[in-house]
Amino acid sequence: MIDRPDAATLLKAMAATLSDEVLPTTSGGTRHAVRIVANLCRILERELAAGPAAREQTRQSLVLLLDRDATLPELVADLDRTLQGSASIDDTTDDANFDARVRELLLADVERRLAVDRPGYAS
Amino acid sequence: MTGAASVGANRRTLFLEVIQRDETTKAVAQIAGNVLDGAEVENEARLLRAAEQAGVAVPHLLAVDSEMGTIISEQVEGESIPRRVLRLVEAQSGLGSKLTSDCGTALAKIHQIPTDDLRNLQDLAASDRYADEMDRLLESLTTPHPTFRLGVRWLRRHEMDGAPKPTIVHGDFRLGNFLVSDRGISAVLDWELVHLGDPMEDLAWLCLRTWRFGADDLVVGGFGSLEELRSAYEGAGGTWRKEAFQWWTVARTLWWGLGLARQTQAYMDGDSNSIVLAASGRRVVELEYDLLRLMED
Repeated sequence: MIDRPDAATLLKAMAATLSDEVLPTTSGGTRHAVRIVANLCRILERELAAGPAAREQTRQSLVLLLDRDATLPELVADLDRTLQGSASIDDTTDDANFDARVRELLLADVERRLAVDRPGYAS
Repeated sequence: MTGAASVGANRRTLFLEVIQRDETTKAVAQIAGNVLDGAEVENEARLLRAAEQAGVAVPHLLAVDSEMGTIISEQVEGESIPRRVLRLVEAQSGLGSKLTSDCGTALAKIHQIPTDDLRNLQDLAASDRYADEMDRLLESLTTPHPTFRLGVRWLRRHEMDGAPKPTIVHGDFRLGNFLVSDRGISAVLDWELVHLGDPMEDLAWLCLRTWRFGADDLVVGGFGSLEELRSAYEGAGGTWRKEAFQWWTVARTLWWGLGLARQTQAYMDGDSNSIVLAASGRRVVELEYDLLRLMED
């Protein structure tokens, strides 16, 4: 009752087939497209494994920072609005502290996404 | 016509031979895609002549037809594809150094091209206008990008030392946009984005991490050091402004990140079904990372 191979295994196989069998037979724009698709397969494979947990970690750190529980998209929009608003606020110690926490949060989030989209970029 | 055409966003490039009496010259024709581009072509031709006069390595102009939006110039030997250039650099000791100093010299000369005869160039010198433009791009995206929001704020909050009078700025001087031979840069290409502005913008753009094509440790295009670039730039008469270099590095990183986000937006809106645009959505995070690291301090 459980399909095999699973999604991750299929994506791995798709990437390998594209790179090893299809790519050598192509050139020019098509070759470029095949490389991109193979890379996207690898990204999706990593996303299946690590994506949901990474998004939840970001969501929870936003809940702590903004003191409100909501979905990830809602919280991101909240953060963006807060940053827009702070553009006109004079720098106070509180603001500087908030700034530092925002940057720490954003960097942690970016590093988790890079592990899926471009492993090795953040080091 | 002798060669295959390549199709860019606005232009077609054709390879041909120009035969005059007994002489055959290999040439390249660039044909604008629309009427607006035709007017820009006249400007570009004037600029190419001025650049050549100033001693910059550029393809020599053979003919210009602004009505047809066509520029025909001599074909120059060399390689421009980034990964191939980096392989050449790896294989030939000293080429990386030579390229770096050629970059510095070329940019210094470009920045000293007299502006008197080049009136119609867009003046993008004011830095607060740049931040406004970034804000507009940000607002055009349907999903929020807090990191880029921080980037725009950083630009507004960090004033830099006095920008000089508006100067000719290439606008897209980076690995991929100049031809390389075993002797160094053989020609500077892709002059479509030239404008009046702050010369440090060109230097910052050249050194962005995204243009090192994986050879991240060497700041200049993956082939050279910042010290070598600066030394060559100043040696050829350029003025290096450190704070402005930093400001423009943040500004151009932000610009490129927003550009990729815009490409993704175009795909999501259904303006295009190109897989290249779809995939660019997953490159945005790299520029966010670069930006966050640049704003640390």
